[in-house]
Amino acid sequence: MRIAFFVALLAASIFYSYIAFADLNFMTRSGRLGPGFFPRILGATAIVMTIWALLDEMRNEDAPHGAAQQWRDVALLMALALGYAVLLRLFGGLVATVIFLAVALSLLNRGKPLKNALISVLVPAFVYLLFDRILNANMPPALIDLPI
Amino acid sequence: MDIFSDLVMGLTIAISPINILYLLIGAVVGMIVGVIPGFGPSAGLAILLPVTFGMDPIGAIMMLAAIYYGAMYGGTITSILLNTPGESATVASTFDGFPLAKQGRAGPALVMQAVASFVGGTVGVILITILAPMFAQVSRSFGPPEYFLLALMGMLTLIVMIGAQWKLGVISALIGFALGTVGVDLETGQSRYTFGSAELIGGIYFIPIAIGLFGLGELFYAFYSGLHKTGSGGIVEYDKEERFWPTAQDWLSTRITMLRCSVLGFVVGVIPGAGATIASLMAYSTERSLSKNGDNFGKGEMAGLVAPETANNAASSGAMIPLLTLGIPGSASTAVLLAAFLLWGLRPGPLFMEQNPEFAWGLIASMYLGNMALLAISIFAIPLFVQIIKVPYRVLGPCVVVVCALGTFSVHASFVETFLMFGAGIVGFFMRLYGFSAAALVLALVLGPLAEEALRQTMTISRGSFAIFVERPPSLWIIAITIALVVLLPLLNRFGNSSSGKAEKAGQ
Repeated sequence: MRIAFFVALLAASIFYSYIAFADLNFMTRSGRLGPGFFPRILGATAIVMTIWALLDEMRNEDAPHGAAQQWRDVALLMALALGYAVLLRLFGGLVATVIFLAVALSLLNRGKPLKNALISVLVPAFVYLLFDRILNANMPPALIDLPI
Repeated sequence: MDIFSDLVMGLTIAISPINILYLLIGAVVGMIVGVIPGFGPSAGLAILLPVTFGMDPIGAIMMLAAIYYGAMYGGTITSILLNTPGESATVASTFDGFPLAKQGRAGPALVMQAVASFVGGTVGVILITILAPMFAQVSRSFGPPEYFLLALMGMLTLIVMIGAQWKLGVISALIGFALGTVGVDLETGQSRYTFGSAELIGGIYFIPIAIGLFGLGELFYAFYSGLHKTGSGGIVEYDKEERFWPTAQDWLSTRITMLRCSVLGFVVGVIPGAGATIASLMAYSTERSLSKNGDNFGKGEMAGLVAPETANNAASSGAMIPLLTLGIPGSASTAVLLAAFLLWGLRPGPLFMEQNPEFAWGLIASMYLGNMALLAISIFAIPLFVQIIKVPYRVLGPCVVVVCALGTFSVHASFVETFLMFGAGIVGFFMRLYGFSAAALVLALVLGPLAEEALRQTMTISRGSFAIFVERPPSLWIIAITIALVVLLPLLNRFGNSSSGKAEKAGQ
C-alpha cells in the first residue's frame, strides 16, 4: 500500500511535468517568464524527489503495517463519507445528513438505537438551523425531491 | 504614544456587544476543538471558516483568532486528565500534567495551566503590540525579491523542522505548489491544468483542501489509530479531590518560569515554520536545565507543566507577527488565517496596519480580551469540557464529516469543491499515515501563487538575472537569516526532543 501510494505520486508528477513541458511555454513572446516556468521546475523536482523517496521506501522493509481491523474501520468510515457525498448530490443537505448519520451511527455505535436515532435527527436539525436560517449560507439542494 | 492611541482605538472597535459575542463563541469553540484529540487549531479554523462568511469581517477575524489561540487552552485539559494531548503543541504538557493529576493534584494543575496560558498569551499580545509596527516599518523596503525569499524561508524552515522525513516534507510542499498553479495564469491569460473545466479556471480553492486534509484526513487517521475504541475510561476524576486551587508554593515557584517561557515561546513563534509545538518542547527542556528541581521533571513538577503551556500560547501570538506585517504565514493555522484575510479582500503585509488600522488594531485588542475570557472559561467551564471529552469518537466522527461537507459546500455552493474536499480527506489520511506533511502542503498552496508572482516580477525587474537576490541589502539579510535558521533550527529541535524524551522516561 505504501509503495503503491508513492508510485501513484510518481505517476502524478510525471503527468504534471508532461503538461508543463508539452503545453506551457517557458518564456512569453516578450521575453518574460512564461506560464510553464514554475510548473516545469516543480514537476522536474517532484519526479526526482519522489523517485528518491520511493527508493528509500523499497529499501526500508521495516515499514509498519496496520492491523486488518484498523484498516477495516477506516475503510468503513471512508466508504460512509463517500456515500454521503453521493447522497448530498441526490437528496440535498438535510435528508442526506439524516440518512448518513442514521446509517453511520448504526454501524459505528452499535447497541444504542434510541441515542443514535436522536442524534440522527437533532444534529441535522441544528446544522440546518445554523447554516440555512442563522447564517443564510448555502445548503446542498436535492436532485431528487423525497415526498416528505 | 502612537501605539497606545492605536490600541485604544482597537479596543473601542473590539468592545461592541456583537464583537464580544463573536469573541466568546470563538474562545469556547477553540477550546472544544483543542479538547478533541486529533484536532488542532488548523482543523478547527479550516472547518469553521465557512461559518464566518455571513459575518462582519472584523467580528469574523476576531472569532477565528479566538478559535486559534483558544485551541491552545483546550488542548491541555486532555493532556492533564487523560494523558492524551488534544493537539501536538500540548504533548509536552502531558509529561508533568498527567503525573500531577495522578497524585491527586488535577485541580491545581488545571488552574495553573489556565493561568500559564493566560500569561503566555497576554505577554505575547503585549509584544505584538510593541513589535508589529516595528516589523512593518522594516519590511516597507521589501519588494518582489524579498517576498519571494520570505516565502522560500517559510517553506524551508517548515521542512527542516520535519527532521528525518524531510524528503516527504519537500514532496508535500511540491504537491501544494503544484495545486497552486492550477487555473488561469494571470500574466498571460493561459489556462493551466484546467482540462476544460470551468470550475477550475479560478484555481483550486484553498478551503476544500484545508478542510479535507485537516478535518477529514485527521478524522480518518484517528479511526485508524483506534481512538474511536479507546473512549475516556482513564479520565482522572478531578472533582473528587479535596483541593481545587493551587497553593502559594505553586504560584511562587513558577512565576519566573512563566515570564521566561513567555518570551522564549514568542521568539520561537515569530520564526516561520517553528511554531507552538517546538516552542513548548524547547521551553520544557530549558526549564528542566535551569530548574533546581530538574530531576523531578516528568514526575509531577508544576514548573514542568507551566513552561510548555506558557510557551505554546506565547508562540501562537508570535506567529501573528509575520502574518500581519509580512503576509507570510509561518504555520498551517496562520495559513488558514491568511486565507480568511484574503477572502475578505484584505492583504496582510507591510502596509496592512497603516491602511487598515481599525482591522489590525481591533484584532490585536481583541486578543487581550480573548485571553481574559479564556482564563475565566478554562477555569470555570472545566466540567463542560470534561463532558465533551466523554463523547465517544465513534459518535463524534460522523458529525465531523457532516460539518466538513456542509461547511465546504456553503462557501461557493459547489459540488465539485465538496467532492474535492472528500478526495483531499482520503489523500490527507494516506499522507498522515506515511509521514507526509499536510501543513507543508497547505502552506505551499497558499504561498505558491504569491511566490510565483513575486519570482516572475523579480525576473522582470532584473531582466532575467538571479543576481538581484544578492545585490539588494534586504534580500541579503533574508538569505543570511534563512541560512542561520536552517542550520540552527534542527539543533534546537533535537535539544527539545532529547530533553522531552528524558521526561517521558522519568514519568514511566
